[in-house]
Amino acid sequence: MSDASTSSDVEPDHDHDHHHEGPGYSTPQAAIEESDREQLAYVMSLYVGTDVDEPDFVAVVDLDPDSETYGEIVDRIEMPNRGDELHHFGWNACSSSCHVEGLERRHLIVPGQRSSRLHVIDTKDRRNPELVEVIEPEEVFEYDLSAPHTVHCVPDGKIIISMLGDADGDLPGGFLELNDDFEIEGRWEPPGEIEMNYDYWYQPRQNVMVSSEWAAPKTYYPGFDLEDVEAGKYGQKLHFWDWENGTVEQTIDLGEEGLIPLEVRFLHTPESTHGFVGAALSSNIFHFWRDEAAGEYRAEKVIDFESREHPDWDMPVPALPTDILISMDDRYLFGSNWLHGEVWMYDVSDPANPRRADSLSVGGTFGEVQEVQGRELAAGPQMIQLSLDGERLYWTTSLFSSWDDQFYPEEAERGSVMLKADVDPRNGTLELDEDFLVDWGECPAGPARAHEIRWPDGDCTSDVWQ
Amino acid sequence: MTSHDVTLEWPDGRTRTIAVREDESVLEGGERDGVGLPFGCRTGACGTCVGRLLAIDGTGGGGDAADREPIGDAGDTEPIDVADAFAYRREPRALKPRHRTGGYVLLCIATPRADCRVAVGSQVQSELVDNPWK
Repeated sequence: MSDASTSSDVEPDHDHDHHHEGPGYSTPQAAIEESDREQLAYVMSLYVGTDVDEPDFVAVVDLDPDSETYGEIVDRIEMPNRGDELHHFGWNACSSSCHVEGLERRHLIVPGQRSSRLHVIDTKDRRNPELVEVIEPEEVFEYDLSAPHTVHCVPDGKIIISMLGDADGDLPGGFLELNDDFEIEGRWEPPGEIEMNYDYWYQPRQNVMVSSEWAAPKTYYPGFDLEDVEAGKYGQKLHFWDWENGTVEQTIDLGEEGLIPLEVRFLHTPESTHGFVGAALSSNIFHFWRDEAAGEYRAEKVIDFESREHPDWDMPVPALPTDILISMDDRYLFGSNWLHGEVWMYDVSDPANPRRADSLSVGGTFGEVQEVQGRELAAGPQMIQLSLDGERLYWTTSLFSSWDDQFYPEEAERGSVMLKADVDPRNGTLELDEDFLVDWGECPAGPARAHEIRWPDGDCTSDVWQ
Repeated sequence: MTSHDVTLEWPDGRTRTIAVREDESVLEGGERDGVGLPFGCRTGACGTCVGRLLAIDGTGGGGDAADREPIGDAGDTEPIDVADAFAYRREPRALKPRHRTGGYVLLCIATPRADCRVAVGSQVQSELVDNPWK
């Protein structure tokens, strides 16, 4: 089953100076130059927590404007069980393994956030992928871990998954390692390094990994409760790891302005030590970087989204920036303010001083655009994904089933949508493409939610360079 | 093995009575009878499967699923002790003290000890927390 043993399937798709037989691209710039336009998207789609008694699925969305099924869900890979809450997912291999001969970016590792079940999907046939492996929750619980979140392939064909809780859904979380045959290898880190966990990113050339914090699964699973924030049950720290040793070298407490630091991204350039994290509840974006003189990492708030008054809400509404990503050329930071209803792009050519380039007011509580093609938008922009050339930004609208029900209850009845904006990187502008709409409200079994988006050939939130 | 009649009531007025053995959870009993209920972790950590106990043995307060008030606004609704109707296999970690006293019960780990009626469906889960800004 190991992808590393299927070298006959591999066709080198590009040339460059150094020996490069594995998956992905030799550099981030090569990804921009050598990739084709995205033709398909894989999108996490879910029914968990609704009255639709069906399993979650991975949707295959046609993104080819010349296709008759453009903007439609052309295939659905159903999970074998119900109750998973598909959330985030990732590839078995990426550009970090570009020197591993025979390895392919072919298998998707698809965890269930609530079930702790791990699925493996073979995408050899890109339009008709196939579920090939399931790791049951009990096997995961044996390592005293639960609530799988971020999946990154790491060099040499291994896969590491951030796990947000222990087997009881309590703290501490940790990291689970799979081998290239998709078997659990064990815990990646020695026990006791962290309490809370969420997203992570690594820069192997700098021997560093950074991880962020949500909360214990038993805290965030049922919904968001301010009492839990007041009781200190939500995270506000970043952890910087020794990548080789799997040990935490430094922890930065972001304080109240850094409450609930979720998506965390290093710049794509493998030499860089700069990155960003979105603090969702405080509605701030932090820049972090290694201070070489001091020999440690620093973090500083660089973007502050103000809460807004709304006549129908009792208290000022926070922006809730729940997702961020960095364009492959490291020039722009994109993000989504789920409650305000806004996607935005900042010029981060000087990462310490982001400059707002443009934003789009769509969906959510304040969006100027509240329907597309006559389809009412039931929630704000949430998970985002950018084309490798940086010219098309896509997003879905579901955050997490129980949190959706709390903040956008209509989404359960209408389902999610996937929307798109055309990006002009030269002029730094965003324009909503009103011809593009994928509607999860029209799924055969009933309205579904849609979450994370991936391209078959790698994207701005999955590839790392060694 | 002793079993108890658990009557499931959905907000749209639909009801279904299932016999649930004392060694199985309400969720498992429902699955055996082909009744679809929301669920997630199956370990009592996530709250997706939560129901609300309405009455035990056909007595006690609580009213119908359709017209009862969410927790916190329960008014003069008489609280029912979940422990009189269910035993838990393990700690119901997704529920806070206010939820437990409000009659909420995690159906994935709750095994019946009496005949009872329970409000079910995804709407029950959304009663556990409010939007704090609205």
